[in-house]
Amino acid sequence: MNLHELFSLLIILMYGLGTATVIAGTVSRKDRLKKLSNGFAVAGFGLHTAILLIEMVGSDFDLSKGYYIQFLSWSLLVIYFYMWWRMRYSFLGLTASPLAMLLFIGSFSLTGVQGTLPTEWTGMFFGLHIGTLFLSFGLLAMAFGAGLLFMRLDRKIKTKEPLSDFDKDMPALSTFDRVNHIAVMAGFPLYTIGMASGFIWARLAWGRLLSADPKEIVSIFVWFMFAWLFHQRLALGRRGRKAALAVIWLFAISVFSLVGINVFMPTHHSFIQ
Amino acid sequence: MKNRDIYLIGLNHKTASVEVREKFALTDCKHLEAGVIPVGGCIKEVMVLSTCNRVEILAVGEGDGVISHIISCWADARGQKLDDLEPYVYRHKGLDAVQHLFTVASSLDSLVVGEPQILGQLKSAYHEAVQHNATKVILNRLLHKAFSVAKRVRTETGVASSAVSISYAAVELAKRIFGDMGNYSAMLIGAGEMAELAATHLLNNGIRKIYVANRTFERGQQLACQFNGEAVPFSDLFNQLEKVDIIISSTGAHEAIIRAKDIRNVLKKRKNRPMFFIDIAVPRDIDPDVNGLDNVYLYDIDDLKEVVEENLAQRQEEAQKAREIVGQETRTFGRWLRSLELQPTIVDLVARSEAIVEEELARCMKRLDGANGETEKILRAALTAAARKFNHEPISFLKRRHEEEEAGARYIDITRRMFNLDNDPVDENAHRSRRNHHSCTAAGDDA
Repeated sequence: MNLHELFSLLIILMYGLGTATVIAGTVSRKDRLKKLSNGFAVAGFGLHTAILLIEMVGSDFDLSKGYYIQFLSWSLLVIYFYMWWRMRYSFLGLTASPLAMLLFIGSFSLTGVQGTLPTEWTGMFFGLHIGTLFLSFGLLAMAFGAGLLFMRLDRKIKTKEPLSDFDKDMPALSTFDRVNHIAVMAGFPLYTIGMASGFIWARLAWGRLLSADPKEIVSIFVWFMFAWLFHQRLALGRRGRKAALAVIWLFAISVFSLVGINVFMPTHHSFIQ
Repeated sequence: MKNRDIYLIGLNHKTASVEVREKFALTDCKHLEAGVIPVGGCIKEVMVLSTCNRVEILAVGEGDGVISHIISCWADARGQKLDDLEPYVYRHKGLDAVQHLFTVASSLDSLVVGEPQILGQLKSAYHEAVQHNATKVILNRLLHKAFSVAKRVRTETGVASSAVSISYAAVELAKRIFGDMGNYSAMLIGAGEMAELAATHLLNNGIRKIYVANRTFERGQQLACQFNGEAVPFSDLFNQLEKVDIIISSTGAHEAIIRAKDIRNVLKKRKNRPMFFIDIAVPRDIDPDVNGLDNVYLYDIDDLKEVVEENLAQRQEEAQKAREIVGQETRTFGRWLRSLELQPTIVDLVARSEAIVEEELARCMKRLDGANGETEKILRAALTAAARKFNHEPISFLKRRHEEEEAGARYIDITRRMFNLDNDPVDENAHRSRRNHHSCTAAGDDA
């Protein structure tokens, strides 16, 4: 077992323990377990950062070998830690830890793929394109988890259903809405920068802005939806249930764009030539 | 320590009516100072807890007359006849008393199970008893244990986690919607008693400001003054709604004064910030359709009653878990109490063996005339070690038997008699007469 394999196993173990403890802590209503889950997430994140740095410094770094997804998983945790620092609510860990683990494990399905990236896959615009889009995806993921919980609690309060222990331990509706607000307010500009830098890079690299790639089409659709939600929140004060629902759809389409299109459709965004 | 036990004598809302409770209340906190239940004689330690729902006297006493002595002191202190008190009084002794105290401290014996006030009252009663030097090792340990049991029950069960009054349930719901109340404001429409109570709860939970809209502006001003808030004209109600997040309505109007179409306009002006309506008027002040609007939540008096009833039922379920904790802790305390009974016997046993060592050492030194200090040192060490080894088994045996509740006292008694730790004079013919007594009894049985 080489260093890379050992680190990868440890990262999966940490994210797995983080997932198990956050679920167990939520079900058993034990704050200690929830805190422990953050500890595991931090440990996993530390190792994850180390492995990415080691590989980047080494000559073997190749986005086609699964680092693309690993970097996405890493970005998701960056956003989670930021949100956790701002709000001090461990409920976001219910989305972050499992998703980070699934993405990290999923990245290994690409390790066997032999592909080469064009030389243009470097440079500022490419870095900007990937970095900002991944951060906005992380924000959407957090808002997605918060949105699902908002929908549940909102329905229960509206219909006057008895609240379970799980509901009672959850933060208030306003907190879920705040996560949604931060995700849209920060996520849309990041997404816009990501799209713009992608177009500029495509123009420089391939001589054209658009190539009718399925991923580009879906991304433009997501951008319009994001823009609509941004406008609704900022100008009209859209909040609550409809805003939560919109963000859930937005995240679902983004996942389809990220996973569905990459796996099932021909696209140059799969990084394989 | 022989025959010393824990006693708890009291009456509460379950055993006595409010008239009886009033008649025998010991609400004056100076009752220990005044010597209502004096420490001395058969009473070694005492503490008095007196609340509107209960009077309980916790004591450590010696002898058979402790209970009757306490009851008679209590009746005397209130200038009442003993017969008027006795039928309502419950009496607990030993671990039953311990269990009852833990149950009371954990608020499992309260009128509303889980209400936290009783623990504070118990702490005050204990504080008073400590100030009057009325507590010693057993009550000190017992009361500290009672506080920790109450804390454990609170932490490990949901017995006190849900609201069981209408106004409190409303505030709890508001917290589910808004979280931290510091950034939100509320409005009272009308001036009902329950609305005032809810407003008080909101203020206690840090609400930023309270507005009052009443048909009579002066009354509204009075109420607003009470909450350090602001009165608003009733005619300007819908304009004012724009700036409030929680609305508690309790007017005497015969039909709804707030309708969904009015609130839709208010919401637009508020940029859809959520609103929580609490309608505690009968007939209702707020059209139920209001609840259908996004970001608007409406609870009427029946909805809140349902929440309270569910919470009460849930508390009863949690109370069962809490009683199990009380049972465990009572058994743990019982073990400590029994170890306390054992301690003097162990001390006496060791003292007796040390006395024998000294006696035998003196005799040996006399026979070893001319022996130096070094020889004495070696001999003392050998004899002490032998005595310690000899004591080890009986002491371990006693400790083991004390783990069994029933056997403990009997083995202490046997040990004390076997080693004559109480220095009782023993008749030389006692053994023979005892044997004769047994054979006579056996013969009688046969006949």
